[in-house]
Amino acid sequence: MLNIIPSLASTTAALDAESTRLEVISQNIANANTTRGPDGRPYQRQEVVFENALQQAKAANGAAPGLVAPQVASIQKDPRPGRSVYQPGHPDADANGMVQFPNVDIYEEMADMIVASRTYEANLAVLKNGRSMALQDLSIGKH
Amino acid sequence: MNAITSIRQLWSGTPLVPAGSAEETASASGSIPAAELRQLNAAQPGASVSGVQPPETSFAGLLGQMVEGVNAKQGIAAQALQDLQGGQTVSLHQAMIAAEEANVSFQLMVEVRNRLLDSYQELMRLQV
Repeated sequence: MLNIIPSLASTTAALDAESTRLEVISQNIANANTTRGPDGRPYQRQEVVFENALQQAKAANGAAPGLVAPQVASIQKDPRPGRSVYQPGHPDADANGMVQFPNVDIYEEMADMIVASRTYEANLAVLKNGRSMALQDLSIGKH
Repeated sequence: MNAITSIRQLWSGTPLVPAGSAEETASASGSIPAAELRQLNAAQPGASVSGVQPPETSFAGLLGQMVEGVNAKQGIAAQALQDLQGGQTVSLHQAMIAAEEANVSFQLMVEVRNRLLDSYQELMRLQV
């Protein structure tokens, strides 16, 4: 099928990847105070890792072959230790009254969220330009 | 005589002739492949010959492919929006991009149709 809007394949992949990143950030913020997960341990911060993928599948869709599009390679756990808070009355407190909290840093997550949001915005701007280029093409030859 | 036939004849330099005698004239002068004319004149009695596949590269064929492509894109966009409504794993931007792609494709098709109609009207204004 014809590829009518330029930049569509890469930009769609980037938008997919960035929305996955926002999902992960929202999960980190939502679980910032979760002290017990399914394994009985505090929540561990997660982060996405992106990779390039040759657009072989999308080349059939009209995009130029050889272009690389981003995609989420994996969602990995952050190994840094979490913070310990003295709360003797907490059900998850250890013998010394210390509670292990997740290693989520809200400020770090907010900064990551801004980066994800701006990257998303940049990709949308590319898409908008591609659309406007296609529409300008359509006005070739008009009086 | 339809517009596509007229345009083809103008392009290939043969004189405008009444629709009934178009095939004989063209095959006599040898400037237009008879198969293409048969396809373009398929609606006219006596012009179609069974067993001949119309060539894919004719303008009418290209236009047909284009309409089918636009239709497919519209279908994809409608499906994406439906999936989005139904809570399937389609993100908002995917649905919007599919809709926008369908929109631009449709505009391209309308532009081609406008050009074709302009050519036809130009021919109709021709002084003979």
